[in-house]
Amino acid sequence: MESNAGTLETRSNRTASEREEVAALESLQFTDEIHRLMSAPATDNASSFTALLELPAPQAVQLIHSPDSAKLIAAPAPNVEDVKGGFHFPSNGGLIERAARFSVFAGEGNNKSDSPEATSNNSSANLQKAVKSEPAETESSQPLISDPTVENRGIKRKDREKVKGQTKKSKTTAKESSDDAEKLPYVHVRARRGQATDSHSLAERARREKINARMKLLQELVPGCNKISGTALVLDEIINHVQSLQRQVEFLSMRLAAVNPRIDFNFDSVFTAEGVPPQYLKELLIKLYDKRKSSGSLMDSNFSGMVMPMMWPEVQLNSNRQQYPQQLHFDAFQQPVWGREEVCNNYLTPENSLLSYDSSANSGNFLDTLNEST
Amino acid sequence: MNNPHHLNPTSLKSRFTTRFLRALTKIRAQKPISSSSPTEIFRRYRRIKVAADKSMAYSVRSRRIWSRAMLWKLRSRSYRRQDPCSGRRSGKTNQAIMKKSSNGNITRRREDGVGFVEEADELRQLVPGGETMNLCNLLDETAHYIKCLTTQVQVMKKIADFYSF
Repeated sequence: MESNAGTLETRSNRTASEREEVAALESLQFTDEIHRLMSAPATDNASSFTALLELPAPQAVQLIHSPDSAKLIAAPAPNVEDVKGGFHFPSNGGLIERAARFSVFAGEGNNKSDSPEATSNNSSANLQKAVKSEPAETESSQPLISDPTVENRGIKRKDREKVKGQTKKSKTTAKESSDDAEKLPYVHVRARRGQATDSHSLAERARREKINARMKLLQELVPGCNKISGTALVLDEIINHVQSLQRQVEFLSMRLAAVNPRIDFNFDSVFTAEGVPPQYLKELLIKLYDKRKSSGSLMDSNFSGMVMPMMWPEVQLNSNRQQYPQQLHFDAFQQPVWGREEVCNNYLTPENSLLSYDSSANSGNFLDTLNEST
Repeated sequence: MNNPHHLNPTSLKSRFTTRFLRALTKIRAQKPISSSSPTEIFRRYRRIKVAADKSMAYSVRSRRIWSRAMLWKLRSRSYRRQDPCSGRRSGKTNQAIMKKSSNGNITRRREDGVGFVEEADELRQLVPGGETMNLCNLLDETAHYIKCLTTQVQVMKKIADFYSF
């Protein structure tokens, strides 16, 4: 990898042998890299920022990439125009692709096979545009390389040292990325023309870019934040949202405390085990249904009706609204459904989870309603 | 009956739900159901709220700063309640550690060129463990915290609806 980048950086005359060597090297090393990228599975527990927010990688990458795409157009890839004269078009395209692929953001364990292609298409278009628009650019500026694997960080640093004083200078946030490698993909900072290029302002700019990227993702999480412009207002909105969520948790726990079901949960035997195997869940559900059959559901509704109006009118409204239709459902389905064992098996056998059930139209099963909105 | 939705058994929602249901049954098993006085209800409410927070924090498994902070808070509170002497001891040492790490961040007031310090401080008070985070990590943790809170609210709402009708 290092020798490959070194040969491409120099502006020596391209000979056929060099060309072949470069092509061979790049095909050798790059396919391995791509294989490594492709084969990295996307895990559920990936602690990268994008996996965490359950955004698909290309979308999040686009979000992060978009403020930088303008800058990306401005600075060309050096490889391309250095070798523009000497290389044939196919290998030129290969180099563009390679440079484009190097700029793929790789969250840890979050590589999807379409994301390199998506961003490579994007970046290759940008790079080709850049090549055509700035043929006069002769300085070898820093390639915008984001190295997805750990061993490429050394190459990046070496490339950075090669950069001479220029107006256009890019800095890969290597040190910060080593802290955030698991959290957020690299955010590239490029100094615009005429801006200060000392390390402090660059670091500050990098931090600001990171913060802006995170704010954008937060805006997507919090409903109604997309229209608001201005970070302070967005932050206020986020604060309100968090407060309302916390208050909702409190209200719901109050409601759960007050609901006071007549159902005795005799699940001690069931829940003593650590992981809940499907067999226990089956028993749990059967017991739940038996208890609901025996107990009077009317008592619950009356009780909660008594307690609620005193303190939480909104909660009471909620429970009242849903009482009546569900009661009818429940009574109608009570006898035929839970008398039969095979129906319970149908509920339970396909899945191990407690939560994977049909919509509540079939029964008054809360497990169904648990799943309906997802 | 068809089951269109197959929830991932290792997802946050299922982890939280199983833990929370377990805690709920434990709480309900403790108290006899005869009590309907407001004080009893309040006591149970406290316990249920603690159980909800604790099960959510355990589901996150201390992969996040806020979950670690919340677990530590809950644990120190429970120690203090059980045994005042030992609670004081452990609370003091832990708090000393926390203050040492957080003092550098708080007293510096965090004017780092971005203009929203007041909102950031308010957010820090909301998110557990937020005092010890810089703005970057704070936003990160806030996002994850919001996601977990919404899951929590969803599940608890469904459970409450199920049992309240």
